[in-house]
Order: sequence, then structure tokens, then C-alpha cells
Amino acid sequence: MRFIIQRDRLVQSVQDVMKAVSTRTTIPILTGIKMVATNEGVTLTGSDSDISIESFIPNEEAGDEIVEIKQPGSIVLQAKFFSEIVKKLPKDIVEIEVENHLQTVIRSGKSEFHLNGLDAEEYPLLPQLSEENIFRVPTDLLKAMVRQTVFAVSTSETRPILTGVNWKVEQGELTCIATDSHRLAFRKAKVETENTDHYNVVIPGKSLNELSKILDDHEEFVEIVITANQVLFKAKHLLFYSRLLEGNYPDTSRLIPTDSKTNIILNTKEFLQAIDRASLLARDGRNNVVKFSTLENGIVEISSNTPEIGKVVDEVQSQSIEGEDLKISFSAKYMMDALKALEGTDVQISFTGAMRPFYMKPLHDESILQLILPVRTY
Amino acid sequence: MREFYPKKGRVILHVDMNSFYASVEMAYDSTLKGKPLAIAGNVEERRGIIITCSYEARKYGVKTTMPIWEAKKLCPKLILMKPNFDRYRASSLAMFEILRQYSDLVEPVSIDEGYVDITDSYHLGSPLEIAETIQKRLIEQLDLPCSIGIAPNKFLAKMASDMKKPMGITILRKRDVPNVLWPLATHEMHGVGKKTAEKLQSIGIETVGDLAKANEVQLKVLLGINGIRIKERANGVDTRLVDPDSVSDFKSIGNSTTLPKDTTNQQELFRVLDHLAETVSVRMKRKKVVATTIGITIRFKDRKTITRSKKVENPFFLKEEIFSYAKRLFLKHWNGDPIRLLGITSTDLTDHEHAVKQLDLFSYEKEAKKEPLIQTVARLKEKFGKNIIEQASEKEIQKNQAGTFTSFNRDFLQ
Repeated sequence: MRFIIQRDRLVQSVQDVMKAVSTRTTIPILTGIKMVATNEGVTLTGSDSDISIESFIPNEEAGDEIVEIKQPGSIVLQAKFFSEIVKKLPKDIVEIEVENHLQTVIRSGKSEFHLNGLDAEEYPLLPQLSEENIFRVPTDLLKAMVRQTVFAVSTSETRPILTGVNWKVEQGELTCIATDSHRLAFRKAKVETENTDHYNVVIPGKSLNELSKILDDHEEFVEIVITANQVLFKAKHLLFYSRLLEGNYPDTSRLIPTDSKTNIILNTKEFLQAIDRASLLARDGRNNVVKFSTLENGIVEISSNTPEIGKVVDEVQSQSIEGEDLKISFSAKYMMDALKALEGTDVQISFTGAMRPFYMKPLHDESILQLILPVRTY
Repeated sequence: MREFYPKKGRVILHVDMNSFYASVEMAYDSTLKGKPLAIAGNVEERRGIIITCSYEARKYGVKTTMPIWEAKKLCPKLILMKPNFDRYRASSLAMFEILRQYSDLVEPVSIDEGYVDITDSYHLGSPLEIAETIQKRLIEQLDLPCSIGIAPNKFLAKMASDMKKPMGITILRKRDVPNVLWPLATHEMHGVGKKTAEKLQSIGIETVGDLAKANEVQLKVLLGINGIRIKERANGVDTRLVDPDSVSDFKSIGNSTTLPKDTTNQQELFRVLDHLAETVSVRMKRKKVVATTIGITIRFKDRKTITRSKKVENPFFLKEEIFSYAKRLFLKHWNGDPIRLLGITSTDLTDHEHAVKQLDLFSYEKEAKKEPLIQTVARLKEKFGKNIIEQASEKEIQKNQAGTFTSFNRDFLQ
């Protein structure tokens, strides 16, 4: 194998596939990046067996030559070293050549590395997915949907299924739901499908986070293929495979309250800032709880008390308060996470009691909903 | 009476009950009076040691922490009793109640001793008169003897109460320090243990007087900051205030127990954990705290000891919660070797009233059902004050002291 390539394109692809490479793996060869040079271009692959990422660098793009293949072939190089090397090479052009016995030479300007490679034949094959059932989502919408839900997944392994985001496709609509059982994030959107199949799968939160980092914000479509145990995201020159979580996701449809006793409309930003201030006195990671009370004349009081530090009281003028008076306590962190995920200048919050879940959504927008469980005092 | 009080400085009493547990038993059953009596832990088991004994038993050489068999050998007529902690607790509370009639500044140190700052109690009499009335009332009302030290600070008061036992009253002034304290060996000083005394000896310090004149730099190298502290004490200086709240400063609540014999029997070990969980839970409820970190201690047959802890999501205080967390930790860290001692500790404590529980989407209904009740209670508290109402389970605790006592814990003061 021998080819000459533009360094910045190589660096970009290496960085992308590195997202899937783990230093802690039970399969030693997965600490490497697989490189395959064909007459069309160079393909890089990284995988930790849960996530696999394939990045393709074409010979030419928009008339520019990116890669010049001298001799097709393949190699696996230690990701840790290879990624650092390409980042620091001195010139814009890099030559990579596999000599005898998997010995790989990387040249750029006057710099020359000899790296011991591994046989690409040993590298596990990526799953072959039949690409019949495809649906399409614009990249920026996909990223938004991930951002608005994935933060709510559980970080604890006590219920592994909750570490993923539940994706449901039904009648041309994609619904994403995540919950760590203390809060729940819900987002839905129309997608383009070619058939009427429906899916109900759980994608690991970690996979979606990595996917989101690799995808650029633009309106081009991402094609999504879902099978029984894998999901594949296909963007331009990029394939992102993720294992799905096994098991049934709890039925969350019943958990979202349908009625409410108190409805409040607030300016999202003002409310977020007040919560942020009230949480300043909370001790690290603990008791990060604020109290939310309705007062006269549409005023909402937000307060917090940490005995050994001090207390804070803040007021926010609401646009309207309808229904019963309310005093409720909740985690400031969950509230801030939820408010940051909402779009729109105003937020409508619906409560059904101090010990029951309450939810928020932008005014006149049913596509997103954030639900939080309050805390109870002893 | 002001003339008997210093213009600057304080007057502090240290009240030390004489062989407290034995005295309480004698007050309870007067036929025991004048007989050699010892209170001991599990009489039939190896951890059975003398917790305390009457002065009659002491004459035979019986001492606290001595194994039962040894005490029996010294004094065959020794009457052995298991501790009745409920009685001791009740007597202790009554004793501190009496002390509080002479000053608000009462600092309990343990179940049977405490400091009283009587600087502002001059309207009640001279310091000596107050000490005499306290001693008289304790013997008349509770049938319990004590020794009292009167001094300008805690350290000297403590040293003074130790000088005449039983039923002594000793005044120790700062100017008495060279005559009274300096001839003593360092280990007789409160705050200097065997280890410290040995270290002091290594640099030629034998008596309190040597210590009072010792080189500070040398002391600091040898004993750290404590070196400076004990030198001050040796000179009769102690700036600690009598703090009535000091007893409520605690960072963890834990209990441990040495097993009757080393064991690998998992069921048996679970039972021990279950019992410890109960004890810890009762103590937590009494102190009205919840915890968010659970810890266990395992000492193996070879005395190798490990402690492991885990932070949990929601604050806990119930026995069932403590047991299940402790059990999980135990199973994770026990390698199957024979175990000599087990312990459970709750840390990261928060006051019950400031603690919160994050509700769970899949189980909140259970809590929500109690909402009307909780709201009513909250409204009552808001209207009539915090103490107007509390859960029956909290009341229960005050009766249920089952087995939560050790001679070294201060929970009874809560």
C-alpha cells in the first residue's frame, strides 16, 4: 500500500474515527485504526465493538485532488500513536507506505516515522446492514433532537436500558425519549420514510453523543438504517454504526401527566438565570435543590437554603399563573438542563401537585417536552 | 457572692460520676450496696470485659477493661451484671437536668461526666457552695455519688475532679499548678496517653513539670500540634470554652461488633449486619439525621481490616435501607475469609429537616399518596411551630433504645 494524501483531510478523518477507538478493549486490534486504500480513495475505520465509525476520503472532491493512490492495500496502525503523528507532521502533504512485514512509513517533508502495523485481515468486519428500511433526517434537526434528549439518560448501570435514548418511528414521525427516572426528555419530529414500518429501539446515550460531535451542522440529510441490534447513520463520506441496547424500554406514554392544576408561563431566560442564582449556594453535587413558590400578582419566588452556607431568595415575574397556589422543590440542575434544551423565549410549566411530575414546553409547541420529578422533604 | 469569682476569667466545674453504672445499679437495688459489683459486657463471650465496677470491687484490684475471668480470680465474690443502658440513660438525663439548674452552659462529655461554666451563676452562691449543693442533690435525689473539680478552665477542672474519689470536691487554681500537677507523671495528665507518654520519655520528659518547661520546637517535631497543646495544659492553660452544643457535632454514626467467634457463615454474618443496621438506624432517628454514604468495616481473622463505602442517590435512615446497602457492599468486598468483626457506618449526615429525596418517575405514586398528609403536617408546622407534630415512628424511638449503647457513645445526650 502506498498513497499520498492532504494532511488536514487525513487529520480530520482520523479524529472522527478516533471517537470510536477505546484504549480499554478486550480485542487488542481495536486499539488500532484500519486504513484501506482503493482506487477510489482511502477508508479509515475505528471501533470499540459498540460503536464503529468509517470515514472515507475520496481521491478527489470538487476538482481538487486529495489522495493519490500509488498502490492499493490495507494496514492497521496503533490509534494512539498514529493520531498524534499525523497531527504534528510538518508539511501539508503526507505519504504513507507499507513496506515489508507490516512496517509502515509515514513521511512528510523531512520527517519520517516507521510504525509497526497490524494485518488488516485481522480487523473485525463491520456489520452488514440491509439498506431497505431507511429514513432521513436533516443533520441539524438530528443534532438538535439528540441534544434535547440525550442529557437525560441515566449514568447509572442499575437499569442499563435507561442509559439509552428510546427512538420510535411511527407514521413518518420520529420520537426520542430519554429518562434517568428523575427527569424525562421528549422530542418528536417528522422524518422522511419510504415505507410504513415502525421501529422501537434504544440507542446508547454515549453513541448519540459521539455521533453528534462528528456531524457538522448543516441541512444535508442523514440516512438512518435500523435493524434488530444495530443502527447505522450514513452521512456524506461517513458511516456511524452503533449497537442497540437490549431489553424493553419502559412505557413512558402513561407517565406524562395529561391534566394539570397549576399552569405558569415564564420567560425562559429570566427563569433560567434565577434558578442558576438560587443554585449558587448549593453544596457540590448535593442538596442542589431549589424551592419554587407562587406568590400574589403572578410572582414566582425561587429560594434555596443550605444551613451551613446561607440562603437566597429570588423573584421572577410570570406572564401568567393559572390554577392552584403551589410550593414545590426540585433539583436546580435538572431544571437548568431542561430549560437549556427548550427552544423559544417563553416556557409553559404545568404542575399537578408538589409530589408529582411536572413538565415544561415552549408555548404553542407540542414537539418538545421536559418532565421533572420534584424532591420531597423528609 | 461576686467576690468569690474572678474579675476576669471563668469558673468551671467538672462533674464526674463515681463508677456510674455500678452506682446506678446500687441506687436501683439497695441490697447491692457495699458489695463488690461489676458491670460487664457479654458475660459468656470473649468480649466480656469489665465496663465499670464499684469501689468495693476496686479494693480487690478489679479494673475497667479487665477480662471477666481475671476479675473473678481476683475477687471470687464479685457480682457480675449485664449493663442496663436504659437505666443509665435515664439517670444521666436526670443528672444533667440538675446541672442545668446552675447554669445554661452545661457541656456533656459522656454519659457520666460534664462541664458546667458557672462564671455568671454568682447569685447562687460561691463556687464551692454550688459544687457542694450539686453533690448533695445528686446523692439525695438520685442516690448517685460524684466528684467535682473547680478550676478556671476545663483541663484543670478535669484534673481536679480526678483527685478525690469518691465524693470529692477539689479546687485547683492556676497558682497550684506547679505544686499539684508538676510532680505527676505525664501519663496521669488528661490528654496524654500511654503512647504519648512513651514518646515524651524518649526526650527525657518524665513529669508534668518537665513537660511545662520543655522545648516547644522539640515537642512539635515529636508530637505535632498536640505537643504545643499539652505543654500549654501542663502550664495550666486551656482556652477551650464550655460548649453546650459540642455534643451535637458529629460527622458519622457507626456501630461495630466483634463476633463471638470468627465466622464464614454468610447467614450469620447477614444477621449481624441486620442487627447493626437496626442500631445505626435507631441512633440516626434519635439524632434526626439522614445520611447519603454508607460504609462497612470488615476485620478478618488475621486482624487485617478493610473499610469500604459507597455514596447512594437518596438520603437514608431506615433500617431496611441501611441493611440492604451494607449487605450489597459486604458481598462485593468480602473474599470469604473468616471474619472477626463487622461494622456499619453512615456518613455525610444531614439534618432530617434539610434532607430531600429525589422522587422517581416509576415509583412516585407511593409518595404522592401521602401528599395530603404531608401537606397538612407542613401547614400545622407553619402555623404552630416545628415541634407541634411529628411522626409516630419518631416518638417510638425515644422508647426504643434497644442495644444502641456503648459506654463510649454520646447519643444518650440527644
